[in-house]
Amino acid sequence: MSKRRRHLFRQALIQATLIILSVFFMLPLVWMVVTALKPIDETMTSPPVWFPSKLLWHNFTEAFAYNSKDLGYIPFLVYGKNTLFVTILAVIGSVVSNSLVAYSFARIRWRGRELLFGITLATMMVPGPVLMVPMYALFRDFGWIGTFRPLWVPTFFGSAFNIFLLRQFLRTIPMELSEAATLDGASEWRTFIDVIVPLARPALVVIAVFTFLWAWNDFMGPLLYLTDQQTFTLSMGLQFFQSQHTGTPWNLLMAASLIVVAPVIIVFFFAQKTFIQGIATTGMKG
Amino acid sequence: MNARHNQRMGILFAMPWILGFTVFLAYPLISSFYYSFTNFSILSSPRWIGGSNYSELMGDQVFHQSLKNTLLFAAASVPLATVFAILLALLLNSKTKGMAFYRTIFYIPSLVPMVALGVLWLWVFNGQYGLLNEGLRHIGLPPPPWLTEPAWAKWTLVIISVWGTGNAMVIYLAGLQDVPQSLYEAADIDGAKAWGKTRHVTIPMISPVILFNVIMGIIGSLQTFALPYVMFPGGQPARSTYFFSMYLYDTAFQYQRMGYASAMGWVMFAITLSLTLLALKLSSKHVHYEGG
Amino acid sequence: MVAGVGKGLTSVCIVAAGLVALIGSERAASRQTNADRVVVTYWEKWTGDEMKAMKQVVDSFNASQNRIEIKYLSISGIAEKTLLATSGGNPPDLAGLWSDQVVQFADAKALFPLDDMAHEAGLGEKDYISSYWKEMTYHGHLYAFPTSPGTSALYVNKSLMPPEFDSPEKFPKTLSGFERFIAKVSKRAPDGSLQCAAFLPRDGFGSGSWPYMFGASFVDANGPSVNSADNLKAWSWVHSFALRFGVRETQAFRSGFGNYSSPQNPFLSGKLASMMDGPWFGNYIRLYNPKIDWFAVPLPYPDGRPDLEGYTVLNLNTLMIPKGAKHPKEAFEFIKYVQRQDVMERLCTSQYCNTPLAKVSEGFLRNHPNKFIRLFDRLARSPRAVGPVKLGIWSQISQEVGNAVDVMDLGQATPQAALDHAESRLAEQWANYRKQVLNQ
Repeated sequence: MSKRRRHLFRQALIQATLIILSVFFMLPLVWMVVTALKPIDETMTSPPVWFPSKLLWHNFTEAFAYNSKDLGYIPFLVYGKNTLFVTILAVIGSVVSNSLVAYSFARIRWRGRELLFGITLATMMVPGPVLMVPMYALFRDFGWIGTFRPLWVPTFFGSAFNIFLLRQFLRTIPMELSEAATLDGASEWRTFIDVIVPLARPALVVIAVFTFLWAWNDFMGPLLYLTDQQTFTLSMGLQFFQSQHTGTPWNLLMAASLIVVAPVIIVFFFAQKTFIQGIATTGMKG
Repeated sequence: MNARHNQRMGILFAMPWILGFTVFLAYPLISSFYYSFTNFSILSSPRWIGGSNYSELMGDQVFHQSLKNTLLFAAASVPLATVFAILLALLLNSKTKGMAFYRTIFYIPSLVPMVALGVLWLWVFNGQYGLLNEGLRHIGLPPPPWLTEPAWAKWTLVIISVWGTGNAMVIYLAGLQDVPQSLYEAADIDGAKAWGKTRHVTIPMISPVILFNVIMGIIGSLQTFALPYVMFPGGQPARSTYFFSMYLYDTAFQYQRMGYASAMGWVMFAITLSLTLLALKLSSKHVHYEGG
Repeated sequence: MVAGVGKGLTSVCIVAAGLVALIGSERAASRQTNADRVVVTYWEKWTGDEMKAMKQVVDSFNASQNRIEIKYLSISGIAEKTLLATSGGNPPDLAGLWSDQVVQFADAKALFPLDDMAHEAGLGEKDYISSYWKEMTYHGHLYAFPTSPGTSALYVNKSLMPPEFDSPEKFPKTLSGFERFIAKVSKRAPDGSLQCAAFLPRDGFGSGSWPYMFGASFVDANGPSVNSADNLKAWSWVHSFALRFGVRETQAFRSGFGNYSSPQNPFLSGKLASMMDGPWFGNYIRLYNPKIDWFAVPLPYPDGRPDLEGYTVLNLNTLMIPKGAKHPKEAFEFIKYVQRQDVMERLCTSQYCNTPLAKVSEGFLRNHPNKFIRLFDRLARSPRAVGPVKLGIWSQISQEVGNAVDVMDLGQATPQAALDHAESRLAEQWANYRKQVLNQ
């Protein structure tokens, strides 16, 4: 009985903490939603207006209204399609390449491994801006400026962050599992596919989610390498609301931001379930 | 035979990265290292000037100031964010209702686009009318000048970085899922309490993941750029929020001194590398690996 | 289960391969233009309504002839992107940069001199307001043509004015009169906190150029000079606002500024009685708080120095042709088109700006959405109109000086010490720039 009560008390405590914290974490989203529905002269006021005098749902259509004659802000379908294209390729490339490379770094002993891994880590420590000029020159020499290729081709060759992350995860899997598979006559490839990949599913999902987010929100890449309005991505579109002389339509900017953020939130909502079932599917370990 | 086989397989599996590194990174890295010994305005071609960029850095007061700002920020934000993210992950890993919802909510700060986030924060931390100070006044605390006093401005950025720790939280969460249930059962038999289990089972088991997040935290916080750039243009007040990467960016693209900026980049590299090696060395006794 | 994952991975790989194969068509799809027209790429910083205004000009140009097609592209971070693309050898044919960049780009020999083409087209000094013309040229060469310009003036909230200041005629013209205005209009709440400030010199367009108002400048014959007696006078005056309103007080008030282009702007929310800004600010008023009753006046001049009357800070958006542009001749055709009086006035009207052209039509001044456009136009023609300093380290100068004022306002150093410090840093940077960029 007392154990049951202790359990209930614990549950209540956890729920209370979660709810209080949620208020703080929800803040940006709530604020964006409210702002997106306001008339312009009620945005960004102090003290804040939490309940708009009227709800302007047409802010959403206005933010994305676009035709060649009367230019709106963002041609959502075109930019959405471009963003999706780059993002899907990047996610596929990233999951495939990084799992292979991390497997090599974490679970195969070979000469030069530690050196290469050290170099891999070190590449992250050079600040990005000093690499921008030579990167640009490189992609220009490839003839890739103005195409999506600088944005997704490199993801098929691994990235230091993801390699490091996956390596840390793969190293927590007991070595005996691989040895057992080898004794059973499995090749390195079969061990990787049949033993390691299923066990590493939570981590692979993390990689997929991060890559999705990164590619979806990437601003610098498209900014530097795309040269045609028809190939722009949504994150670039969000910059279209800031202006030099004519003021920023905060309500439309927030409406557009919400639409851009929504798919990401949905993807995350479904992906996080994989984190829960980690143990269930990998019960064979330990 | 076995060693040769491993050698071949190791290289084969690592091939994408070996290729990717050679094709996409080696040239830019070597170039920027070369630029750091040149006078290079981006628009004109680089001219070799030996080590003058590095010796100029030694006497550059803004460089010193931005370095100090950055290191102070990293020293405050990395430990705080690490503890906070682990606590959040532990909380989100408990078995209770509505977890899918809470996990998504807690991750939202990492999802909101920067243009919206920068504006939001200016408005929350506004010294006079900001949401935060309005709240503090309600509970009878003095409202600090978050954005306008050098010391407070740095704390503002630390608070925001801790709040936006979603990525680390997700990684911890995935790590927690990898802790074998059998270890907890064994601890139960030994009569361990919740805290004991966390201290002696959970933390050691996710130590490789903690190490990862700490190292990424060091690298990331030393390169912090977008948020202070949006919130505190020019590092105001009085360069108290002028971070290393902001000075580097201004030097490269506003002042058009790519050579000097590259030298700064490589100094940053050296500092990051030493701090990372230090973290690796300090952790070597405490990080627990299952595999080889 | 295990085999399932393997199969899943294989099918993912197949899908990936398929998508990669699709990429081949990606490039062709985005390149469909009239084969017989020369395509001129034009990068511009404007988006939203400003983009619409320029797009109309581009469309009418494209429709007016059948040889050239201008392809307009909105670029954020245009300076960086133009830098990278120019260094990479494939710049746009036209870049919509600010006049601030003329010197840096010209020093790096990254701009196409426009003298010959301008001469051929019959465009020259006589066609432009002389202070804008100065911004287009550098070391005797012409590097840029204007699009929309600006000048700074003082916007005054009429409803906060006592009767003695409540019209442009009655508003003080000299600094001592301006001081009276500040003393009279600034209000404190009973608890001592600042309720209404008459004026704050550190916000709004032109807030980095105060020395000019006192007859000083940022340069002398040897390069940057920011700590002369007149400079000190100017920045001490700026600093005096922090002193008279209280350092902490002004900061609390300024941190209330949050966003310039929002209803929270203190002028628009009635907390600041006057504010310095360009003609476009009229649009912000229309957008965020159209109920404000306002007028605009020139900034004051020091007592006994009527020669300094008519001080204003210039802004200028420009069109430049980067070195390496593929179609400079065709790009210039478009520049020429934009310089037509009717085209320019239409563009400047929809962007809420004055005109850079010497000739101005009565219709433009009468129908302009900013009711004080005549003032902004007159100020642009004033001999006291000043633009960016013509040194390649201008952005360093404004950063250093801005930081020096931060330091004085926070009480970390005296005005003299703060400016001396800025001066010594700038001297170093100028020496470096001369050695490294100008090879002197």
